[in-house]
Amino acid sequence: MAAASDTPVLELRGITKRFPGVLANDRVDFDLRRREVHALLGENGAGKSTLMNILYGLYRPDEGELLLDGKHADISSPHGAIAAGIGMVHQHFMLIPVMTVAENIVLASEPRRNGVLLDTAAAERRVRELADRFSFHIDPHARVHDITVGQQQRVEILKALYRGADILILDEPTAVLTPQEAVELFEILRKLVADGLSVIFISHKLNEVLDIADRITVLRRGRRVDTIPREGATEAGLARMMVGRDVLLRVDKQAATPGELLLHVEELHVRDERGLEAVRGVSFDVHAGEIVAIAGVDGNGQTQLIDAITGLQKPESGRVLVAGAELTGESPHSFLEHGVGHIPEDRHRRGLILDFSLAENLVLHDYAKEPFASRGFLNPGRVLESARRLLKEFDVRGGTPQTRASALSGGNQQKVIVAREVARDPRVLIAAQPTRGLDVGAIEFVHRRLVAERNEGRAVLLVSLELEEVLSLADRILVIYEGRLVGEYDPSVTEEELGIAMTGGRREAAV
Amino acid sequence: MSPVAATIDRLRWGPRRVARLGIVLGILAFFFALPPVEARAPVVPLLVGLLGVACGIWAVTRGVGRLGWGAVAVGVLGILLGVLATRSSGTNLHIVVSWGALVASTLVWATPLTFAAIGGMFSERSGVVNIALEGMMLSGAFFGVLGADKFNSWAMGLLVAAVAGGCFALVHAFFAIHLRADQIVGGTAINFLALGVTGYFFIQVYGDVGSPGNLPRIPNVNIPGLKNVTFLGDAFGQLNLMIWLSFVLLIVAYVVMFKTPIGLRIRAVGEHPRAAETVGISVYLIRYASVTLSGMLAALGGAYLAVGFVGSFNENMTAGRGFIALAALIFGNWRPFGAFAAALLFGASTALSFRLATYSDSAAVLFQALPYVLTLIAVAGVIGRSVPPASVGRPYSKQ
Amino acid sequence: MSEPVEAPPGDSAPSAVERLAARHRAGGIVTPLITAMIAFFMGGLVVLATGHNPFRTYKAVWDGTGLNWFFKFGHYHIDLPFTQHRVFFWWDTNANALAPYNLTQTLLLTTTLILTGLAVSFAFRCGLFNIGGQGQYITGAIVAVWVGSSWAGMAKGLHVFLAILLACLAGAALAAVAGLLKATVGAHEVITTIMLNWIAYWIGSYAFGRGGPLQNKVDIAVPISGDVVRSGKLPTFWGNPELQALHVGFFIALAALVVFWVILNRTTLGYQVRAVGFNSEAARYGGINVARNYVYAMAISGVFAGLGGAMDILGWQYRLGVLDIQVSNIGFIGIAVALLGRNTAVGVGLAALLFGALVNGTSTRGLDPSVFPPELAGNLTLMIQALVLLFVGADVLVLAIWGSRKKIGLGRRTAPPAPEGAAT
Repeated sequence: MAAASDTPVLELRGITKRFPGVLANDRVDFDLRRREVHALLGENGAGKSTLMNILYGLYRPDEGELLLDGKHADISSPHGAIAAGIGMVHQHFMLIPVMTVAENIVLASEPRRNGVLLDTAAAERRVRELADRFSFHIDPHARVHDITVGQQQRVEILKALYRGADILILDEPTAVLTPQEAVELFEILRKLVADGLSVIFISHKLNEVLDIADRITVLRRGRRVDTIPREGATEAGLARMMVGRDVLLRVDKQAATPGELLLHVEELHVRDERGLEAVRGVSFDVHAGEIVAIAGVDGNGQTQLIDAITGLQKPESGRVLVAGAELTGESPHSFLEHGVGHIPEDRHRRGLILDFSLAENLVLHDYAKEPFASRGFLNPGRVLESARRLLKEFDVRGGTPQTRASALSGGNQQKVIVAREVARDPRVLIAAQPTRGLDVGAIEFVHRRLVAERNEGRAVLLVSLELEEVLSLADRILVIYEGRLVGEYDPSVTEEELGIAMTGGRREAAV
Repeated sequence: MSPVAATIDRLRWGPRRVARLGIVLGILAFFFALPPVEARAPVVPLLVGLLGVACGIWAVTRGVGRLGWGAVAVGVLGILLGVLATRSSGTNLHIVVSWGALVASTLVWATPLTFAAIGGMFSERSGVVNIALEGMMLSGAFFGVLGADKFNSWAMGLLVAAVAGGCFALVHAFFAIHLRADQIVGGTAINFLALGVTGYFFIQVYGDVGSPGNLPRIPNVNIPGLKNVTFLGDAFGQLNLMIWLSFVLLIVAYVVMFKTPIGLRIRAVGEHPRAAETVGISVYLIRYASVTLSGMLAALGGAYLAVGFVGSFNENMTAGRGFIALAALIFGNWRPFGAFAAALLFGASTALSFRLATYSDSAAVLFQALPYVLTLIAVAGVIGRSVPPASVGRPYSKQ
Repeated sequence: MSEPVEAPPGDSAPSAVERLAARHRAGGIVTPLITAMIAFFMGGLVVLATGHNPFRTYKAVWDGTGLNWFFKFGHYHIDLPFTQHRVFFWWDTNANALAPYNLTQTLLLTTTLILTGLAVSFAFRCGLFNIGGQGQYITGAIVAVWVGSSWAGMAKGLHVFLAILLACLAGAALAAVAGLLKATVGAHEVITTIMLNWIAYWIGSYAFGRGGPLQNKVDIAVPISGDVVRSGKLPTFWGNPELQALHVGFFIALAALVVFWVILNRTTLGYQVRAVGFNSEAARYGGINVARNYVYAMAISGVFAGLGGAMDILGWQYRLGVLDIQVSNIGFIGIAVALLGRNTAVGVGLAALLFGALVNGTSTRGLDPSVFPPELAGNLTLMIQALVLLFVGADVLVLAIWGSRKKIGLGRRTAPPAPEGAAT
């Protein structure tokens, strides 16, 4: 790693930012040296993205100041940030899918012909030159929705470089990458730093941070805990700084005793909304009393697979059998009737109707049946009674049965969804990214519940990209990559091995 | 059917091509019965149309659902209309289908739609739904008449119309962009507002007198050499200035939207406003400008209708044309030439509906519903396939 | 707070219902009231700007509505229905006096506006913007006048019932076309319903025009339908039937408000409709058939609007002419009624009363022409409606005014949602 020089190229002093109800940044100090990779580490909600959005001009700080090269600077918009040489690669890409790579990169700084017309040829030429300089392999003429996620990220980096950035901010860049792509990204970063750039790397993944960073700043609940050099930093030490206590990573569970076959998926092929094949011939079984986990990075067909086995989408071909009944291509209603429970990965879009009360949400599947309704008329008394019972049993806090779902915290909302699915006594329970965005307490609850359901004799299918969760809960682990199942493991497998499997092949690991 | 199938197999044409051929045959079945071919034997449209239907069915069996059934429908329709045409009297046919005059008439009715649709394109491409094209058109009609009358010049009329349309558009823009109101409710409100304002001031200013006579009209462009050429002369020899301007507008709009940096930015704002903001583009500014432009263009369309063609103003004279323009825009996939083609189609149906009155006075009233029926079919048949700008209709909040 | 990061932009946009629903709870009845007041205020500005006196104008409008009747207390009597008794009543129900007469006319309009308002509201609760109330109303009116003027020999109750039933079905059918198109190909209901409005307009103009199939047989020079026969007319209860009396349709409209509420809040169909309206994706996940509910919601909306058409024809109009069809805009006023009433039963009822009063008060019959020309007044009403719609659509503005009262320390503290991407 090239030596970082002394004067900080960028310094944030005493940054404070308040939003209604939350103090996102509390007198945070941060500095970046030339030619260093400085990692910003913290849990969800620690304030990392807020801090960087302030630096990039998307937010204004309530207090504090910013210095560039030792001089006071005022950045009030992304325009100003770009002018100051700061480029940002966001977690959700700021790319326009229907436009080409070149168009995306030159947007707002377009080369012109005759002063008025857009010079597409010049744009593509310049993009190609820039890409070649850093050995990116990018086709300027390709449309963004046709290239892979890893390539899209490279386009984002090129966007910043095209505008002359010498400070690059990357917000959770590996969240959407396979381990192989992450390695390639790190190589690119090292090359950029050697060329003179300084990099801020936001993450919540300890192992990556230890791999790439020169210095690490840990944020917790809006405050800076400490800034330490990489030498001497350990995973356990960082974790303690991030969370403030020792973190229990694994859930207690006994060995599984699988019973009858409850979910049988055979040679399933499913297309995504653009008509491309997302699931390519997936087959697996889940028995009663076991937890099967499908591990994989987002975007490898998990969403389409789940849609096909819950009735939300018709598969192209293949079969889905639930407890022996053929349900291929049936409606969601049919799947529900046959005892399939589904904890969806997006609780706001799918899992809950935020404007309905908790009671109304709890009867979302069964509102038309006894005892909640008879002959087309609802029985509000029984609906409330059942809701009261469930809310108590699942320890849902934040409201009564009449409270609107939108008023609850994420963790409690997820509890409501889990309560609803579990109370229907399903035979097969499908949990998709069930702990996304939840705090530790809620995560613990969900994990305990899934194990309890498995012990009751249900077949549980867990789809997750959190390897720790998978290793902790699963009795069997399947890895999905580019729409295919590429391996089956038992829970004694290492994270590293799983990570390699998620790239679709075996590599000779160098020690 | 098998000789047909065998021929097609031999030619090794894909089913989509065959389906398209079927649609063409269906249209021809009707056209052969009209002047200048004017086949009088019903068997001609019948045969040609049946061939088209056959192609359609073959395509359906080969898996091309939509296009195939479209060919079948067009084939059947072509047979029906072709046979009807063979049974109508020759003179009537010549009155209704005099191609030159029909083309001119089509252009006349299409032009207001063109202006409004292009305006709608700018607004929607930047991400703001503009249901209020109707109201802006109507305001252009009234204020165009007012301006032309008070300043005694059609050019001033056009200017006043554009300003009025721009003002209504600014209101819509403010509510949609700054206040992040629901754009469809807001657009509907603007339509009512325009209706009320134009009606109110029409009565206030012209109450007893009625629409001003001797209104300075937008001139026609007489092309000297063309007058005596049979078809071209009727069609293009004497078109209004605004019609020619609409052609210019089409070209300019295409170049601006797809070949200039400003067009790229407008499209970026419509697809992914946050991405545009992060590279320093002002989403609010672009949207305001686009919506205002759309109001001005729609108003010019309405002004043409009142000051250029009809020569007077009546309350609610645009009669839903703003919505037809919106449908044309969707039909044309938010591209200028596509929208123009759709506008021509709708304009033709209006032109026809007037001429079909030669057959029956009472039925002529019914024919007035034709453009709306056509729009309904177009919207129903096409919507699934055309892709709007990704962020259209969703309010954007700066942070 | 640990919430997921800002969702990627491919998400479905929240529907108008979702956004309105999220806001309207905070305002209760005050927000619609403020909205109406601002709209009237701005209307008054227009009146002032064009050289008339807004206070005298609005006073004249008020007198025209007949609502001033409620302020004239006294010692009168009223007949009890179905008996011969007379009991004490505070107000003079003699409909020959001006105020009670105006009131009956206002209530006639209110009856229709309740129904066209419900037509918009019901669809709105399912996330659909039904602008086709006008066309559905006309369709109902056409069928009502056709059935009502035929079959003179039929028993009275049956005749009326049949006319109403078929009118409702006709309205439902027209609306269902838009619902089907939305359900099958995703065609936007705003465009399809507007097109259907114009189609109904022209079909009606054709049907009753000179030489048209439904034109009256008595005088072929007049483009008007036949008259509704005695057995087809709704019974009236207040006023002189020769001069447009208030008929039992008024109670039918009130009953419709109750039915609306019951369907939405106490039936499984209503649950489905509301679920789809708030979040169609979650509804689908829950097992609800979204497409089918679009059709149901539109069809039921069409029933309300068609019922409105039947009420007018069978209640006081008794005939339908081409001119009536071309001039009518009561379906459009229903849109403002629905939105001002926040799509609730009580709200629609009150808003219908407000707009009924406004339209009657500014009509040629109601408004004193020396104060303000009625032709202008009609357009003034349109502008006020438009302003109401505008502000309802931008409930943000009105709520901002309402919300700023917190700065003065009044009202409950409710935590507004944090902006997207705040906590990461």
